[in-house]
Amino acid sequence: MNMFTQAFSSLGVTLRIMSYNKVGFAGFLMVIFIVLVSFVGPYFVPLDSETKVDQIFQPPSAQYWFGTDHQGRDIFSHIVNGGKDVIIVAVIAATLSTLIAVTFGTFSGFAGGRTDAVIMAITDIMLTIPQLPLLLILASLLQFENIASLGLLLGFLNWPSLLRAVRSQALSLKERDFVEAARALDLGAPHIIFREIVPNMMTYIIISFALAMTGAIYAQVALVLFGLVPFSGSNWGVMLSLAWVRGAIFFKDSIWYIMMPIAAIVLLQLSVVTTTRSLELVFNPRLRSGE
Amino acid sequence: MATTLDAPPIVPAEIEHMSGRMAGIWNSFILRRLLKALFTAFVVVTLTFFLIRLLPSSPIELFIQELMVQYSMPYHQARDQAAALFAIDLDQPLILQYFDYLGGLLRGDLGTSILSPGTPVTSFIKRFLPWTIFSVGLALIISFTTGVILGLVMAYRREGWIDHILTVIASILSAIPNYIFGILLIIWLGVRWGVVPVAQMRGSLSPGVHPGFTLYFLKDALFHAALPITAYVLTTVGTWMLTMKSSTISVLEEDYVTVARAKGLTESRITTAYVGRNASLPLFTLLAISIGFVVGGSVLIETIFQYQGIGYVLLQAINRRDYVVMQGVFLIITLSVIFANFFADMLYSWVDPRIKFGSQE
Amino acid sequence: MSTTEAVFVDRIAATDKPPLSLRNVHISYQSRKGPVQAVRGIDLDLRAGESLSLIGESGSGKTTLGLGIVRLLVKTATLTDGEILYRRDGTEVDVGELDARRLREFRWRECAMVFQSALNSFNPVLRVWNQMYDTAKAHGWSDKRAVRAHVLDLLRFVQLDAERVIDAYPHELSGGMRQRVLIAMSLLLDPQVLILDEPTTALDILTQRTIIDLLRRLKQEQHLTMLFISHDLAIAAELANRIATMYAGRIVEIGSAEDIFYRPRHPYTLGLIRAVPKVTGDFEDLASIPGSPPDLIDLPSGCKFHPRCPFATKKCVEEEPELEAVGVDHAAACWHWQKVEAELAVNPLHQSRARLPEVGASPLDGSVADLSNATTQVGEV
Repeated sequence: MNMFTQAFSSLGVTLRIMSYNKVGFAGFLMVIFIVLVSFVGPYFVPLDSETKVDQIFQPPSAQYWFGTDHQGRDIFSHIVNGGKDVIIVAVIAATLSTLIAVTFGTFSGFAGGRTDAVIMAITDIMLTIPQLPLLLILASLLQFENIASLGLLLGFLNWPSLLRAVRSQALSLKERDFVEAARALDLGAPHIIFREIVPNMMTYIIISFALAMTGAIYAQVALVLFGLVPFSGSNWGVMLSLAWVRGAIFFKDSIWYIMMPIAAIVLLQLSVVTTTRSLELVFNPRLRSGE
Repeated sequence: MATTLDAPPIVPAEIEHMSGRMAGIWNSFILRRLLKALFTAFVVVTLTFFLIRLLPSSPIELFIQELMVQYSMPYHQARDQAAALFAIDLDQPLILQYFDYLGGLLRGDLGTSILSPGTPVTSFIKRFLPWTIFSVGLALIISFTTGVILGLVMAYRREGWIDHILTVIASILSAIPNYIFGILLIIWLGVRWGVVPVAQMRGSLSPGVHPGFTLYFLKDALFHAALPITAYVLTTVGTWMLTMKSSTISVLEEDYVTVARAKGLTESRITTAYVGRNASLPLFTLLAISIGFVVGGSVLIETIFQYQGIGYVLLQAINRRDYVVMQGVFLIITLSVIFANFFADMLYSWVDPRIKFGSQE
Repeated sequence: MSTTEAVFVDRIAATDKPPLSLRNVHISYQSRKGPVQAVRGIDLDLRAGESLSLIGESGSGKTTLGLGIVRLLVKTATLTDGEILYRRDGTEVDVGELDARRLREFRWRECAMVFQSALNSFNPVLRVWNQMYDTAKAHGWSDKRAVRAHVLDLLRFVQLDAERVIDAYPHELSGGMRQRVLIAMSLLLDPQVLILDEPTTALDILTQRTIIDLLRRLKQEQHLTMLFISHDLAIAAELANRIATMYAGRIVEIGSAEDIFYRPRHPYTLGLIRAVPKVTGDFEDLASIPGSPPDLIDLPSGCKFHPRCPFATKKCVEEEPELEAVGVDHAAACWHWQKVEAELAVNPLHQSRARLPEVGASPLDGSVADLSNATTQVGEV
């Protein structure tokens, strides 16, 4: 156990182990690339919001790398500028749901008894309610004005399955020697949870965070696509929604307009998911030997 | 030595204890699960009611505002109309309203649509819910079976080219959002390549076809459900495959598989009854979550393909702000998921005898 | 030879050709660091009706050898060389050459196996009866009523409440009960050879006792040929006629149980005997063999035991000894077996009252403890 803790406490080692799985590491690099493009890119590629009637639905060219949309605007600039909001919402949502899941999951697993039963009953009920219909209804009732509140709502709905997983991790950690020792020394629940259990679940928490992000990306794009969150500005979901509504699928060269945001969303989802595969390798050494 | 030979057979205490009450315990497992399902249903009903009434922008208030603005109705008139449509008496104290609401539910009264006056919500449900159950249920069965078989193949051919190709495909499939799959199916199969008549496939049945036990009806129903089912299957099968693969790999290392080989069992018997059955057990626990996810996703998929199931109705109601329908349909969708989970639990207890004894509760 | 030996001699005399002969068997595992030589040239005859015990530390290759005989090795392990000759009614086959179908028929019908972890030896979702019937059916015996009657008989033989156990699920049975069911199952097809791989290791001490008694009855009443794999010398002594000591994938000493326990000629066997704890004794008397088992990927030169051996000389480092006769039906692979003999003359292994446990002896007569009345530490030798 000591070796385990030591080996994974340092980021360098984690990265090296991640690189054992080439696909997972490629996904990780892709995540970094997408984040860089979305946050730094806008400084170099300003958003093209000028309607050019003579340039509608152009195929990719030297001038318009990804072609143009139904108003003759440069799709490439919209892709570069449209990732920031998606990622911010996903990060806010994932942070909130991971925070809820980790706090209550470890607490539930650690406390046991009636507390555990109550928390798990609530979780089970939340887990049974289909998330997406609930989200759609809440979004339409609450009428969001900014992306942060959307992120918070997504985060508030997306914790139940993470909480279950975190709890079972906490339950197994609870039996380990170092936790037993801390309990014997009567160091108190907060100490044990935040100093002993949580650090040992770090990798696991990161995986949970990444998975929560994919859930949030899925949900927010759905909300935007189906017009339940009135988003202004540029956002991959808005692009997709507009392309779909403007019938971009029916013209030969307009296909670029709808495929580009799809490609961006799928690529982001895929790279986050593959990154978790790589992280699992760090987390579960048993998987490593087989690859 | 003689003493050991004459010794009475060891009476297995555990068995005595268990087989005597086995039926009882199994029943109580069902009972426990049933009680849990009923309790969850009750909580959801309660939550839905108070959500509608107490949210800062409660649908009733929103609706009253809308009536006042759009039709310049006076407040009390708008309020009366809202109360009538929601099947709620707004003058009563909240708790009595709640009991009225519960009573209405028990009588099967979910209120009346705002936008289609005179149409009770229950008639929407009767008309549209069966199609969702049909398409989602069929998709889950296809996806689960395919995932189990392919996952088994991947684990047996581990590190071979089949495994590598299928793992990549499964990873990609499980990462793509279902509605994007729907859009891609329409773009490529429907419009670009024109292999599928997307427009004709809209709706749940072709005009003039009526439900009945005829092959013609069945074919038409499948024709219309084909695209939603494809989208559900493609977006869920990857997860089943990957889960089954890793589960199979760990089962293959189990001693009982080695013992089965040592016993000279045929490879097909080992694969099905020893490896396959045990490896699929974790998938049954995932089934509950998957049901909720697919049913939830049906809202988007049915809208994209214009398939007239209950999800399509829900999104329409949301977009058109038909709060009564929204509330009733959401409740029904949730209750269906609760029932489906209960069914999945039963299935699980049937495939894994250990679960009946609560050891894995 | 002492009087107890005579019992064994009678049985061995009834043999013409042994049912199982291993000839120069090599098994190695593939690993990232290179091939792991788990079994390196084993020659062994399993005589009809005898019970032979393979003993050694974990990693000595004994379990690999047991699995290799029925070709149940994991994918990364291969039988690189040698023959596994199985004989019945005057015919002889090389198990290593059997095709998939005939190998399947050979398993359990001819050679059954009882595994260490009875807890996990059963499919958790099938009833005992289904797992029994699966086995019978796989070998062409599909008369359900006859199979059931036979299974009930066998369950009674292993002293279980047959009617109840037969329809139980494995998780409803205790560890000891499962091991009994597994033993009953191993007898289902009346095999000629039975391999028992540490059949008592996973059990608690009291259950171990009852299983050992059961196995002893099995040996007496069923006249099976048994290969008994164990790291527990005391149990091996109770159940075996002959004992073979394995070290680093080779047999380093083989002889009658009596010879091995009273007249060991290999320093490793001697070390193993002195490492057996006494039930009544002090822990200070417990000698352990210094050092650790060898790295099977990068084996030491010469005699593989030399880094841990108190008798080692330059010759041991340079040349690996072959098994050579050191007595009647007793062989050891050691350049210095005479020195071991001389050492034993100075520091006798067992005190005067020491005796091999008699077959059928009551578990309470203290014979287990008697085996280990060692007074000297290996280190002092």
